[in-house]
Amino acid sequence: MAGLSRRQLAVYAADQLLSSKPVPAIVRELAAVLISSRRTNQAELLASDIGWELERRGEIANATVTAAHQLSALLQKEVSAFVKKSAKVRQVIISQNIDRSVIGGVRIETAAHSWDKTLSRKLTDIREVS
Amino acid sequence: MILPATQFAAESSSSGISSLGINLKSFVFQLITFLIVLFILRRWVFPKLVATLEARRKTLEDSLNQARLTEETLQKAEAKAGEILQAARAQADTALAEAQTKAEEIIAKGETAASERGARIIAEAEERLGKEREKLHSELRGELAELVAITTEKVLRQKLNEHEDRVLIERSLKELG
Repeated sequence: MAGLSRRQLAVYAADQLLSSKPVPAIVRELAAVLISSRRTNQAELLASDIGWELERRGEIANATVTAAHQLSALLQKEVSAFVKKSAKVRQVIISQNIDRSVIGGVRIETAAHSWDKTLSRKLTDIREVS
Repeated sequence: MILPATQFAAESSSSGISSLGINLKSFVFQLITFLIVLFILRRWVFPKLVATLEARRKTLEDSLNQARLTEETLQKAEAKAGEILQAARAQADTALAEAQTKAEEIIAKGETAASERGARIIAEAEERLGKEREKLHSELRGELAELVAITTEKVLRQKLNEHEDRVLIERSLKELG
């Protein structure tokens, strides 16, 4: 597997995850490939590619939700439902990120999609339009 | 010839002439002298005198002719000079008229060129002014937007609480959905 591209590795990892292979085993394999091909610095990018591949297949989306305040459980459910519908995936994992600079609203980012409804974005749009 | 004359005079003196109170001898002698003088004059003096006079007359006539010729030549020259002068005046008038026409044309061209240039300068200035105005508007719009954004951001930061933020997020999700 030393000559495989990152994209091919991501596809392989997605296949393995969906075939219910134990995650630690998959991780070890991928780590071995990255070490042998001297690409350990691409580990995060590979993880992102795997997320993108899983989302592309409609399996799972890892959504990072950025807001100025902590989201309530109800809001998290609403966000999850929204991502499921919009990204057409069966499962959504929410990671919340509190960032006061967004002022208000919410920004949702997955491996393949992004929705920004924050006030900071709107203010930036006003500045850019003028 | 003199001797018979004196004899004739001597004979005559004794006849009736002397009775008139005329001395025949003296008369004859004077006559002879006169004839001699006349002969001398006609032979040597008169021809020279006449020649001299003739020469002078001829000279005078030539001079007169020359003067007449000179006068005629002068008149002709004056006439010719007059003609030349008139022609020169006419030529000068023509040249002057042409020069005036040309000058007017040049002035007209200059005025047209100046007018066009002025119009071009005005148009360029207006265009520049328009661009400057547009730039100023753009800058003003930018500054205004920045000001609005800053003010809005400050107000929102102060006024937006957690509850309002939640409402805002719900509305955003509805909009996205």
